[in-house]
Amino acid sequence: MTRSVRKPAILLAVTAYFGVLLLIAAGLWVSWQRAGIAPDQPIAFPHTIHVSKLNLPCNFCHIYVDRSRHAGAPSLTTCMSCHRAIATDREEIKKLTRHYEEKRPVEWNRVYFLPEHVYFSHKRHVKAGVDCSECHGKVGTMKKIRRVGALTMGWCVSCHRARGAPLDCTTCHK
Amino acid sequence: MKRRDFLRVLGILSGSTLLSSCGSRKTKDFVSSVLPPEEGVIPGEAYFSPSTCAECPAGCGLSVKRREGWPIKLEGVPGHPINDGGLCIRGQSSLTRLYHPKRVEAPMLRNGDGKFQAVSWEKALSLVSESLAGSRDAGRKNLFLSGRTTGSLSLLIDAFCGKLGVERLPEFEVYSHSAVAEANGLLFGERDIPHYRIENADFLLTVGADILATHVSPVSYTRKLSRARIRGDFRWIHAEPHLSLTGVNADRRFVVFPGREAVLLAYLLRQVLERGPRRHGLPREAVNALPRFSVENASEKTGIPAEELAELSNRVTKARFPLVIAGGISTSHRRGLEVAVLAGMIQWVTGQIPGLVDFARNEKYGGTGTFRDMEALSARLSRGEAGVLFLSRTNPVFSLPAGFAFRENVRKAKLSVAFGDLLDETIKEADLILPLSHSLESWGDVEPRRGVVSLVKPALASLHDTLSEGDMLLRLMGAVSGEGPATGYREYLFAEWTKRFGEKGKDALLRDGFVEESLPEKRVTLNGGKASAFLKETAAEGGEPKAPVLVLAPSLRTFDGRSRGLPLLSEVPDPLTTISYGRWLSVSPGTAKALGVKDREEATVSSGDWSQVLPMKIQPGLAEGVFVAGRDFVDSPPLRTEERTGEATWYLEGIRIEKSGKVAAIPVLSGSPSQQGRGLIPDPSHKDERHHHGKESLYPEHEHKEYRWAMAIDLALCNGCSACVAACYIENNVPVVGKKDHLKGREMSWLRIEPFYGEAGNVDFLPMLCQQCHSAPCETVCPVYAAYHNPEGLNVQVYNRCVGTRYCSNNCPYKVRRFNWFWHLWKKPLDRMHNPDLEVRAAGVMEKCTFCVQRIRAAKDRAKDDSRKVRDGEVTTACAQSCPTGAITFGNLLDTESKVYRLAHLTRAYRVFEGLGTNPSVYYLGGAKGGPEREGHG
Amino acid sequence: MDKPDKLAQVEQDVLSAMKKPGLGYLAALGCSATLFLTLLGLWGYQIHTGMGVAGITHPVGWGVYITNFVFWVGIAHSGTLISAVLYLFRARFRTSFNRPAEAMTVFALLVAGLFPLIHLGRTWKFYYLFPYPTQRMLWVNFRSPLIWDVFAVSTYLTVSVVFFYVGLIPDFAIARRYKEGLAKRIYGFFSLGWTGTRRQWKNYNQLYLFLAAFATPLVASVHSVVSWDFAMSIIPGWHTTIFAPYFVAGAIFSGTAMVITLVVPMRKILALGRYITDDHFESIAKILLFTSLIVTYSYVVEFGLAWYSGNPFEMETFRYRALGDYTVMFWIMIFCNSLAPLTLFVRSLRRNVKYLFVLSLFVNVGMWVERFVIIVTSLARDFDPYAWGTYTPSIVEVGITLGSFGLFFTAYLLFLKTLPVLSITEIKEHL
Repeated sequence: MTRSVRKPAILLAVTAYFGVLLLIAAGLWVSWQRAGIAPDQPIAFPHTIHVSKLNLPCNFCHIYVDRSRHAGAPSLTTCMSCHRAIATDREEIKKLTRHYEEKRPVEWNRVYFLPEHVYFSHKRHVKAGVDCSECHGKVGTMKKIRRVGALTMGWCVSCHRARGAPLDCTTCHK
Repeated sequence: MKRRDFLRVLGILSGSTLLSSCGSRKTKDFVSSVLPPEEGVIPGEAYFSPSTCAECPAGCGLSVKRREGWPIKLEGVPGHPINDGGLCIRGQSSLTRLYHPKRVEAPMLRNGDGKFQAVSWEKALSLVSESLAGSRDAGRKNLFLSGRTTGSLSLLIDAFCGKLGVERLPEFEVYSHSAVAEANGLLFGERDIPHYRIENADFLLTVGADILATHVSPVSYTRKLSRARIRGDFRWIHAEPHLSLTGVNADRRFVVFPGREAVLLAYLLRQVLERGPRRHGLPREAVNALPRFSVENASEKTGIPAEELAELSNRVTKARFPLVIAGGISTSHRRGLEVAVLAGMIQWVTGQIPGLVDFARNEKYGGTGTFRDMEALSARLSRGEAGVLFLSRTNPVFSLPAGFAFRENVRKAKLSVAFGDLLDETIKEADLILPLSHSLESWGDVEPRRGVVSLVKPALASLHDTLSEGDMLLRLMGAVSGEGPATGYREYLFAEWTKRFGEKGKDALLRDGFVEESLPEKRVTLNGGKASAFLKETAAEGGEPKAPVLVLAPSLRTFDGRSRGLPLLSEVPDPLTTISYGRWLSVSPGTAKALGVKDREEATVSSGDWSQVLPMKIQPGLAEGVFVAGRDFVDSPPLRTEERTGEATWYLEGIRIEKSGKVAAIPVLSGSPSQQGRGLIPDPSHKDERHHHGKESLYPEHEHKEYRWAMAIDLALCNGCSACVAACYIENNVPVVGKKDHLKGREMSWLRIEPFYGEAGNVDFLPMLCQQCHSAPCETVCPVYAAYHNPEGLNVQVYNRCVGTRYCSNNCPYKVRRFNWFWHLWKKPLDRMHNPDLEVRAAGVMEKCTFCVQRIRAAKDRAKDDSRKVRDGEVTTACAQSCPTGAITFGNLLDTESKVYRLAHLTRAYRVFEGLGTNPSVYYLGGAKGGPEREGHG
Repeated sequence: MDKPDKLAQVEQDVLSAMKKPGLGYLAALGCSATLFLTLLGLWGYQIHTGMGVAGITHPVGWGVYITNFVFWVGIAHSGTLISAVLYLFRARFRTSFNRPAEAMTVFALLVAGLFPLIHLGRTWKFYYLFPYPTQRMLWVNFRSPLIWDVFAVSTYLTVSVVFFYVGLIPDFAIARRYKEGLAKRIYGFFSLGWTGTRRQWKNYNQLYLFLAAFATPLVASVHSVVSWDFAMSIIPGWHTTIFAPYFVAGAIFSGTAMVITLVVPMRKILALGRYITDDHFESIAKILLFTSLIVTYSYVVEFGLAWYSGNPFEMETFRYRALGDYTVMFWIMIFCNSLAPLTLFVRSLRRNVKYLFVLSLFVNVGMWVERFVIIVTSLARDFDPYAWGTYTPSIVEVGITLGSFGLFFTAYLLFLKTLPVLSITEIKEHL
């Protein structure tokens, strides 16, 4: 009699336990997906060379980073100012040159993107002395840009909290 | 511990759902452009460029706000000689014309079976040039008809017509003000509308002229009026047969029997002649010819009480700078010319020319024709005299009486070519449609007032395959001569400007958006002979329209009907009736009772063989036996043309009304025309202390360290023009939801104009927006903190935290919160208007006025760059920016130097429902419109 | 008949209700089930298209959905009252009602719990309403009565489920004896190995007493909290201190009515006349009458408050409530809740089961309408006259309301066929 009670009870407990674990796993998996996004780009631009080898400062190309909310992608003229002469034989550079000559802008695949309701200003963060690498990682070591920061609200808030940055909703929510 | 993890997972999952809602991953907005953007343009930052509004002939200066190259908001240019920062409801909505989904996108040619089909510009232009030549050989006349045109374009049209042997017809405007122009021609040899310097007058009498909404240059007049009112020692009396927005805003409003304004003015003129202030005399025979009225019979003839009349004449005679403006409805009937002439004579006798009535800077209506000219044209067309007929920016088929048979006659032209942007009645009749670029897509200039030139500068490349009128004409000239266009219109203009203003002037024009030339003062003298002759052969009375009359009034929202097509304008309700969508016929309560009609009951209005079904709206303050309908509500009414002035009469006489018993479904947004004695607008202004028990709270008071944003609204200045409402819609991506939802009371406006009627039929307007309460009822009831109080005193609504319980809206005493009942769509390309600083709210969330938090954020960003606080006046809300009267002030209440602080501490300042202890941040300045001494006015 | 036979008789009588269902039963079940499915369908449609498909609008942001929520929570109450409170008071007649009443409580709460979700603009974000720790540092607003609701209702549901279940344990054991195969195993499982030893009975009674004591205060607390959804606001007609007792009384009133509505047919169909006698009904009728008087008194007081306050907003609201656009609803409410029950002063009517049944239907309607009137009229006419408006339920709202009854009756009908409809053990005690 009593056994017939316990058996299903145990069964229930076990399934419940594993169910929870499964959910946790699923959740974490989703969160990991947020980071580590690394889409292919129309032109395989190696930050390794430009940042690590040539030591170009970030705002050499991302000229708006300290002037606007967007960091901005460099205009092709900027690229061509060097690549008219340099490494013109490379496949990717040929691509670039073609774009330039055919006056086709290059549409990069976003690695870092925020929901529509978020206000984010690169300018404010740069002027507050946040180093680019804190969110974007060591791009100098990435042949292909991979997302480092999770870009979840919690991720933003924890940093704001740590640095005593404003926590009022209107700071970021629009 | 395990629970913790589980909960965290929930958190992450919710986070991921949040992110998955983001679309920017798809949109390719991270782009390496080929060339760096033009100087001063930074992606993500708004930038402004000057232009001029083309929605009506007034020509207000625009400052076009652009983001990433797209115009997203229009603002008035501070310091502009016409509108000085203000912009009206139509001007604001002009942006929806640019992005209108139904714009004509390419040249259209009517093919055999009467359908339009797109053709190339080359084909279109060559077709025109061929038929120009063809019809010339066939002995037909080529004709060019346009709406009022000023500035270089007018010169170019002359050149075009001269070169190609086209006859340029007098411009067609429904509101040509020809009676006034005629009168001025007769009295002073200046056939035009003078520039009225209202700001310098200490007494203003307007007779019929709807100066706040539609008369000549409304925003300009409104600005001037505010200046005079703020100065203080100013009184404004308005006389009209019907009820207009202008009327209800005057310090005192007289209702005159239709067509009897001349009696009033004759009486006043005599008073002035006898008691002064007379600076100039009149020739004896004129004085003798001037009809005599005792107070009594003047009062009995006009319907204005005798003591009021006496009081009025006292004011006129005592005033140091009295100004009389006649126009609109009062000059558009059989005695219209007399009214205009007598007004002119008063201006002359009181010696306010050129002080207040300036002919040097007249409003350039000289070239504008009349209905009679159109009659003539229609006749010529019917005789088949016309070869190529150009119709530019004008809609006579809609505006002219059916009797003119203009629709039919247009077809008789060999080739009718229409320039326009939307498919209106006239364009639909044309054989060839040449699509016009919006003024924000084209170069140009206008000279709305002599000596004031305002720049029209493209803010974006043409959205569609369209051309500006200038380019069109130049290319046509090129096509005819065969050697192609000599220059583009831009070059043409630059040459013109350099010629007229010199290099410096041209650069100034391009920089500021306008140039104001200094003109020599113009002294005119009364032509006594003509004046007395005129008075001899005419009387001030006789031939008044037979009651009951239907007045066809100009419309605040659509002017003469030209702005009908713009979606936003039907969404914003008419301030007097609060009807948003649909047409209606206003009727006085008394007459309604007599006819036994209910509110919104449909009735058939007929006059002669013309008739139309309209819903009746009971309108307090309207005279008995006078019905009013918007000019654009009535389809080709049988208007008579006044012989001497050629002006169309705005009256339909001896109309018949048959009620149908059927109540029409038109959305009336106001729940009650009266404020039910609830003191929303206390008058005389007093603080509402009733049942105001001191507030106790278990929670700490909100602290405001740096800023506490607040607003002051001066009800003595607000005239209900609703420009702020339109501005708010566009600034904040407020959706246009349409008639169906309006009928359910689901309009989304964050800011609304509440008209409240007093017993005397007087109206007070209360702009109602989120009061940003200090102890806000909405905040405490939100279960998820989507509504909360931020450190700067704003009631913030975090859209994507909102779950949509609607509790906040229920608990809001001001009912200013709006719920998104559906997913709202912006028909392409209207979505280009979106302000990227705000998200477009999803279905199921609550939204409301934020005091334009995005503007505050931007200002604080600027301030932080040079590490300072935001200065007073550095940030203002969209409504305050647009307000033509300057009634709205926004600022930081913690800054004791700020303007808003000063206003909030005036004795006139009060807050709505103060008794509830909500402690709002919006202060209203009560008190009568005309200062303390507004008698009999609520 | 001697005792053991009697006892056996009870068991057979009660359990015979669980015999193979007849056509009538299946038909009833089918109808209610379909209604419930329509609810689900319409709810899906509403989520997909937006709240706009409901009639609620500006300024009336709450309508039929919240009305239903309050109504069903109210229904739930008398269950607890009858089983727990009357148990503590040792009211014997309770034994014949407590099981169906408790069942009713549980099902009514399930239905009630749906409506806060249905009326959410963004149902899929319902979990924002629970306080759970996240990295995002977000928390719920404990000042909002809606959060109190979340706790009140969930607590109430848990307690009444447990109470219901505990009461069932001995009967499960009995049912187990009469069943075969899978059924036997299931009943066996739920009877938690009940053997009816003295020790078990001792613990059992302690537990039952404890639960009864624990549930009793909830009768007062839960509906007070619900009433605060309104009383804590500033809306004229809502913002008043009498709401809590007023609503509790109303809840018991409506709940009792629902008990009658359910038990009368049940008694007839399942031939339980022997156990549910007219005396029992008379006692219930007395409760009905008593609570009706309290409710009526509250109506009067409300108007009195408005009148004496001299507050123009309050006065207008109540003038509007009685004479405005919803005057018909108002007078229906007065008739059903205040006038009709007065007839129960007549003893013969109290004992007339048919009459009680009809009356109970009136009261159910009346109490639903009462909630509607309170919610809608107050919102339709609050402070700013410009924003006055009216509200008419849409077809979707009507459908979902009917659907909620569908869900309730589906559950109840299933209960009739699966669980002992009367507390066998208790009846035995009282033999």
